[in-house]
Amino acid sequence: MSKDSIELLKSHSRRLFMQRAALFSGMIALGGGSYILNPKKAWGADPIKVGFALDLTGPISVQGIPCANVAKMLVEDINAKGGIIGRPLQMYLEDTATNESLAVTRVSKLVQKDDVDVVIGGITSSMRNAIKDTIINRGKKLYLYPQLYEGKECTQYLFCTGPTPAQQCDTFVPWLMKNTGKKFYFAGADYIWPHTLDAYAKKVVEENGGEIVGEEYSPVDQVEYGATVHEIMTKGTDVVFTTLIPPGLPVFVKQLYEAGFRKRGGRIASVLYDESTMTISSPAETEGLASCLDYFRAVDDPFSKELFEKYTKLFGTKNPLSAAGGSTGTYRAVKLWEAAVKESGSIKRDAVAAALDHAKISEGPGGGAEFVPGTRHVRMNMYTAVAKDGKFDIVDKSNGPVAPKECLPK
Amino acid sequence: MAIDHQKLSRPVLPWIEGGLFTLFLFLPLVLEHYWVLFITRVVILGLLALSFDLVWGYVGILSFGQALFFGGGGYCAALIATKLQVTSVLILLPSAVAGGMILSFVIASIVLFGRRSPTAVFVALGTLTGSYVAERLLQGWTYVGGQNGIPSLPRLTIGSVEIEEGIRFYYLAFGLLILVYLGLRWLVRSQFGLVLGGIREQEERLSFLGYKTQNYKGIVFCLAGMVAGLSGGLYVFHEGFVGPAQVSPMFSTQVALYAMFGGAGTLVGAVIGTGFVEAVGYYVSQYWEMGWPILLGFLLLIIVTYRPGGLISFVVPDRERVGAFGGKDADVGLELEDKCHGHA
Amino acid sequence: MDIIPFGFDIISSMAIFVLAVLGLGVIASMMGIFNFAHGEFLLVGAYTVYLAQANNIPTWVGMLAAPVVVGAIALVLERIIIRRFYATPVAAMISTFAIGLVLREGVRLLLGGQFYSVDAPLIGSFFVGNVAFSKWRVAIIVATVLVLGVSYLLLSRTRIGLYVRASLENPSLARASAISTDRVYAATFAFGAALAGLAGGLMVPIYSLNADIGVPFLIKSFLAVMVGGMGSLGGSAIGAAFVGAFAAGLPWAIKPVVADVLVFVLAILFVKYRPSGLSSPWRR
Repeated sequence: MSKDSIELLKSHSRRLFMQRAALFSGMIALGGGSYILNPKKAWGADPIKVGFALDLTGPISVQGIPCANVAKMLVEDINAKGGIIGRPLQMYLEDTATNESLAVTRVSKLVQKDDVDVVIGGITSSMRNAIKDTIINRGKKLYLYPQLYEGKECTQYLFCTGPTPAQQCDTFVPWLMKNTGKKFYFAGADYIWPHTLDAYAKKVVEENGGEIVGEEYSPVDQVEYGATVHEIMTKGTDVVFTTLIPPGLPVFVKQLYEAGFRKRGGRIASVLYDESTMTISSPAETEGLASCLDYFRAVDDPFSKELFEKYTKLFGTKNPLSAAGGSTGTYRAVKLWEAAVKESGSIKRDAVAAALDHAKISEGPGGGAEFVPGTRHVRMNMYTAVAKDGKFDIVDKSNGPVAPKECLPK
Repeated sequence: MAIDHQKLSRPVLPWIEGGLFTLFLFLPLVLEHYWVLFITRVVILGLLALSFDLVWGYVGILSFGQALFFGGGGYCAALIATKLQVTSVLILLPSAVAGGMILSFVIASIVLFGRRSPTAVFVALGTLTGSYVAERLLQGWTYVGGQNGIPSLPRLTIGSVEIEEGIRFYYLAFGLLILVYLGLRWLVRSQFGLVLGGIREQEERLSFLGYKTQNYKGIVFCLAGMVAGLSGGLYVFHEGFVGPAQVSPMFSTQVALYAMFGGAGTLVGAVIGTGFVEAVGYYVSQYWEMGWPILLGFLLLIIVTYRPGGLISFVVPDRERVGAFGGKDADVGLELEDKCHGHA
Repeated sequence: MDIIPFGFDIISSMAIFVLAVLGLGVIASMMGIFNFAHGEFLLVGAYTVYLAQANNIPTWVGMLAAPVVVGAIALVLERIIIRRFYATPVAAMISTFAIGLVLREGVRLLLGGQFYSVDAPLIGSFFVGNVAFSKWRVAIIVATVLVLGVSYLLLSRTRIGLYVRASLENPSLARASAISTDRVYAATFAFGAALAGLAGGLMVPIYSLNADIGVPFLIKSFLAVMVGGMGSLGGSAIGAAFVGAFAAGLPWAIKPVVADVLVFVLAILFVKYRPSGLSSPWRR
């Protein structure tokens, strides 16, 4: 190979290295996908061990890395301000590699060998389901799950800080019907989140007088959507509500675009798209796409903007802070947990869980957040946004924090 | 290469086997809890690698689908445990074995049997495809959890005693490994084993001599499937989780790697290969997280090209190995001749 | 009018398959070696195109470079490793398996384990009435036809093609006729690899790039070659066309999950009961 091509290769992998360099700087690699961030100066007290189980490699790494970045940023922040209850935080990071079987092994290391005091993480619902038993039953630890999901997770000691179907559909679906049309097609990946979220969304569609013209669930790694796209076009669909995930999602969006879906007035709705997810598609393909999340970069309250700038300064622009990826949920998880520990004065699981039950933070990306007592889910602001030219415009904001409506007492 | 008659009376293999046995017997007593979990996994995966070595090293069947029987056995046991609320070892492990056996029989009937003997390539491809198909099916099948798999598996019990991960589980797995190992060792050094060696070397000639080679291959393949199923049953309860990744082609090829690395055709080589790859992998990835797999690939390439006998060939002369691929055929033929003529 | 998009879908899928399988077919039918690293040759081709995009070089340049890069790598591999195993095909398979592992993990390292998308040189679709034809897929169909044509001409009309066919029919006689069979094998292997690299490069805009895209292609390619019949290049192409048609066609009729599995099961059963494949009546 010529010298130029070797240089090309080197500069590329150097750039790749830089993307994660900010995350890993200061961290020590322990082998087998584990990393540890030790508190900087000498402290009088034993550290509190915080465990993070996130996908740093594999298809979901595009969501996992920002979560890890946020975690690191917050841990260093908290330590700089004196720790929690006089103790510093020690961050343990495990790469769950988008591989549930591997993740279980690594998370078991987190709770057994490293003996962390809390675990935050798991991004896809299948990952959460795979590791929750290891954490809660075998490891007897507290578990916070930061990502948007399908609801119905009412396990004790499992707290969810991401948006639920009620938060994502109750105002979003009517907006879609008002601003596009009444015929909905549901295209999802074949696992629990799409099925359950779509079930809720379909209910809202029907309650508002809409029509469901079709439904299709594809294998998670399918990259060929000709048949589905054709069905969508022939049925006169107005809104394609898609719960596909990468790697299928960008291919599907591309094929829909190529079929001329938007040209004839259709709109894609995908709650997984925000400014950072946009990078998987080209701007032409996502023009007009609508999404509903707890935060967009376009949200312009001062705290959110400041947070975003701080994050970007530390970690660059390649893996930005995003709601679709769970990094805003990670923010809430860490901060709410911090508040709970402060209130209970201890790190024992039952004490913290009791405090977490009604924990509240007044500021966060997109606004503050508060646990609804007895439900282990969080009330938060929701925003509807539409993609324009590769960026998002906020078109609707909720009137104050929206209720998650999960795990309600019968 | 001529036979060295003096070396005949000083076999190295039993020393290695004995040494490892003693080491593994006492290791968990001195290790931290996390490391006990680690070696338990090595033992369980070593069992799986054994199943691969059985078919590849002794019969010459390149099975890239052992994960199918491993994961399949695991799923069987997991389903019975969760749907029927059973936790007894005495029911779950045999069900895993049965799962492995049934699946391997199905695969054997498609890939191994038939009017004409299939080519090595077809077998490798067919087993790889089996693994792939199984993974896709499991991903889409909601009853068994789909992509989620089956999480939150209960612990195995003997009577009312729970077998927790750690020392208890280790000795269960270790005990089973020893049992299976001894059984297989006896088998391959018996007349049956001789036929297997013959099938590997010159299948046609053996069938002309009147042996129904397909039956032998089928039996061994199913036996390997059973061992793989047992390994799977142990694995899923140790981890508390079973998912489609455990039947995947990636996993199948990983197992093949363990066995080839350690050295095919020696049984203990498979276990050594597993331990080596897992342990070295853990340490090397401390310094070069993402580089370890590529290093592993290089090592495998070097071994395959220059030292097909695997790691164990550094210590064990080729004479003692019944399985070797790509060369050294003369040695093996001579060893078989030895046995036929009643030498030690 | 349903038939037109359906037909286009099938044809473009067939074209992609044929392109992907050709390289394996060349090596398998002409050298008797099943290249387990075939998927990874596709991957390296795809990666080359991605590199071009990442360094602001137009992707079509990357696509022209892909076969050259992969062919060069294959040449080196052939000299150092593969040629030792011509006598034992099984050992050759294992060595290519190890090579594939190194290549896959190498690319994984370079990609940082992540997924990337690459833009096609031609974005968007042609519209004929109400029906959309993706521009890039049309380009692939054209490319496949060209590649098939060029390969056929190369083999049947040129002197090099003559040498290749001679070496494969009767190596000793070829050597006696002053043909360097060593060089022929090296060239054939490199050519097969280059085809795979080109396929990977052309296909990457359609699928996202990550280190594991080679694996499903490996299995499908093997099946296609066996369905078509080892022993002729034409056979591999036909096998690929069949598999491609089924892979695209079945999901229109049944659930995608089942369709995917069915293609494999059918292919394996077909090969089992007709080991010589589809092309047995024909000779090369």
